[in-house]
Amino acid sequence: MKFIDLEHLNDLALGSVFLATGGGGDPHVPKLIAHEAIKQYGPVSVIKPDKLDNDAYVVTIGSVGAPTVSLELLPSIDDAARTLEAFEKHVGRKVDAVASFEIGGGNSLIPLVAATGKGIPVIDGDGMGRALPEAQMMSYPIAGIRPTPAVAFDYAGNTAIFEVSTTAIYERHIRSYSMAAGGMITAAEHPMTGEELKRSIIPETLSFSVGLGRTLRENRGQADSLLEPLQKIFADSIYGECRLIHSGKVIDKATRIIGGYDIGEATIEAFDGKGDNLTVSIKNEYLMAKLGDKVAASVPDLITIVDYETGTPINAERLRYGQRVSVFATGCPEFYRSEAALKVVAPRCFGFDIDYVPLEKL
Amino acid sequence: MRIGIDVGGTHTDAVILDGDHVIAATKALTSADVVGGITDALDSLLKDGAVSQDMIQTVMIGTTQFTNAIVQRRELSPVAAVRISLPSGRGMPPMVDWPADIAEAMGGHIYTLHGGYLYDGFPVADIRDDEIASLIKDLLKKSIKNIAIASAFSPMNAEPEKIVAAKIRAAIPDARITVSHSFGRLGLMERENAAIMNTTLLPFADKVVSSFLDALANRGLHSPTYISQNDGTLMSADFVRAYPALTFASGPTNSLRGAHKLTGLQEAIVVDIGGTTSDIGVLQGGFPRESNVVIEIGGVRTNFRMPDILAIGLGGGSLVLDEGRTIGPQSVGHNLVTEGLVFGGETLTTTDILVASGAADIGDASKVAHIPKTTVEQAGFTMHEKLDQSIEMMKPGGKEMPVILVGGGAILVTGGLRAASQLHRPENSGVANAIGAAIAQIGGEAERLMSYRETPREEAIKKVTDEAKGRAVEAGAESSSIKAVDIEETAVPYMDEGATRIRVKVIGDLATGGSS
Repeated sequence: MKFIDLEHLNDLALGSVFLATGGGGDPHVPKLIAHEAIKQYGPVSVIKPDKLDNDAYVVTIGSVGAPTVSLELLPSIDDAARTLEAFEKHVGRKVDAVASFEIGGGNSLIPLVAATGKGIPVIDGDGMGRALPEAQMMSYPIAGIRPTPAVAFDYAGNTAIFEVSTTAIYERHIRSYSMAAGGMITAAEHPMTGEELKRSIIPETLSFSVGLGRTLRENRGQADSLLEPLQKIFADSIYGECRLIHSGKVIDKATRIIGGYDIGEATIEAFDGKGDNLTVSIKNEYLMAKLGDKVAASVPDLITIVDYETGTPINAERLRYGQRVSVFATGCPEFYRSEAALKVVAPRCFGFDIDYVPLEKL
Repeated sequence: MRIGIDVGGTHTDAVILDGDHVIAATKALTSADVVGGITDALDSLLKDGAVSQDMIQTVMIGTTQFTNAIVQRRELSPVAAVRISLPSGRGMPPMVDWPADIAEAMGGHIYTLHGGYLYDGFPVADIRDDEIASLIKDLLKKSIKNIAIASAFSPMNAEPEKIVAAKIRAAIPDARITVSHSFGRLGLMERENAAIMNTTLLPFADKVVSSFLDALANRGLHSPTYISQNDGTLMSADFVRAYPALTFASGPTNSLRGAHKLTGLQEAIVVDIGGTTSDIGVLQGGFPRESNVVIEIGGVRTNFRMPDILAIGLGGGSLVLDEGRTIGPQSVGHNLVTEGLVFGGETLTTTDILVASGAADIGDASKVAHIPKTTVEQAGFTMHEKLDQSIEMMKPGGKEMPVILVGGGAILVTGGLRAASQLHRPENSGVANAIGAAIAQIGGEAERLMSYRETPREEAIKKVTDEAKGRAVEAGAESSSIKAVDIEETAVPYMDEGATRIRVKVIGDLATGGSS
């Protein structure tokens, strides 16, 4: 796709919630901001990574913070573009294009707001192919891109400059700044050249998410009938395998906050009460699904829970006792099955005592 | 004794309850002026003189008037929407995501001011007197009297909303103001939407409440009058003049509560079968299980509490196709009495199947004598199968549950239902809504984001509970009878470990001798 315009936003947001695997926050408010920004500044031009000049200067941009806070602390139409301006002022050079941290959830939309506001293109791709809880889990740092210079911008235009050694440390600092600034900030970080971007980005996930959202919208209805169209669109993508691993009722869901994350479990019982229950482990995202004591899918593969009646994906914070759901599992991009990536995103990195087995081998 | 009245779109139902007993029940047609339908219903309730007006202690009314007004875009008044959240939310004004037709009906009077709070109580910005002064100047110039005010994090600190409201009131004494913190719940845009929708209905609410009270007074009823809200609790009629939006979705709630009253069951599935749909809901502790999704009313996102209802296309007017293998979701609806076969029409409906099976005597049975026995049996099977599957979906996990059938279409269920541990068909189920209205209690709710680091958990919950109790008393509850029925704690990710959103719901008995 060459442009993202108003008519693509609903599909992009819907697709991005599916890819957010329970995390990423409600994209409703980011979608509204993108809508108002595109209405005011025009459609966003989209560049495929391989079409980018090797010496282009790119920066990633998005929101960092607690989704619950953005329910009250609304973003502004010019936050993202002003973040970029503050970044350009700090590094003393112009940015040629922006890219997304994560395609899962609201951060699929923030780069569009920055790009249209500044009149520069957005790259078709992101740093996760899904949503994951920490910055060092992005493909950019895994591929060796440094997190800083970085600039964070709050609701009132206050800025903070970061110069740190590793993305893990950057993650701690940016979180604490976000807390001090009301719980939600916009950040420009992980600057890189076109050549570096090509080897570190998960490609073409932006256009894929729009197509995925369209598929979900056109096949809105009981989740069983969604499987075939989903398998069709995933088979032709960097994700590959897609399975319907369970349908039933949420009979238990408990999460609590540990170390700034929503950690817990949901149990789903088949509608007829027969067979094993599916247990889904949550750390902001849905990270592991077990049918009885057999692993059905695990991170970095994607686990998505949808409303059984409509096929609408449900975020972890909205998952509740009594809901009727289906659970889909999807293979992750090849990048995340590399040794370097599994060092930071294998099940053990999240405290699960299992080795990662790709979905198609389970 | 109590009278319960349900003013629906087509029917006005009314009952007299003596304690738990239904003494009289009636159905009248809803009239265009509403008053006529109510007086007709009252006339037929009181006509035999067995019950006199002075034996009636209270009257409870359930109504869909306000929901219908929003959905049909009628009786809406212009509103000034005042948002206090700058510098956050620039370029995201109130009503930005409303459908154009209803946004236009509000008149486009939008004001954004500096102020509000962050999650930890730090100010977003200081309120500016000059902004408030120019707001008031503009309101006066445009003679706007209906004003909705919303500020960031007002469920935790409502000071900005209160200050602006007080200044407007001082300058415009007859202003009708809704402050968003009276609609609790975090979610600035949804709370603001609720406040705006409430405000646009205020002039209409005056009219509706007055006509209700006039209709009652015309028939010699001067007892305290209450109106039911979406969570199965009551507000005094005068409270509705200020909070009409709280009546949204009280219809399904009343039918669930009525089913609870008619059977005494605390935990049950309720299936309300009408002409076009079957609405399936769940009773938990005698109250409807609430939905967790964002509810849209007339295309506008709100944060109202609504019952969790699964609606399926099966009713007394549903089309029967495919030798009975396919039923619904198409329906002849209220045209059943002309289009159904037993009424001389051309369309095979579920009601015709019922008559053909000999289970009911409706219309002219000879018109369905030709329908093959296999079709009748297959259609019966399909209907029961459809209901069984949907009931299974609504059942809380792994529990045996009784099923209560209510509504005019309940006669469609001739066999048992596999999904039900027991099947209840209470008498008077056709007026379950009016009964639900008649038995409602008074409730109150409050919500805050608290830090357990700063305030110990017990103290924090008590604080929120006291706030909810205060609201219940304000709405007409007897304070000694109030108890918490639901406490929900939600931890907030990425925030300090003690940050928790606490929501408390309380319910109490109606204070006797309340105002009417």
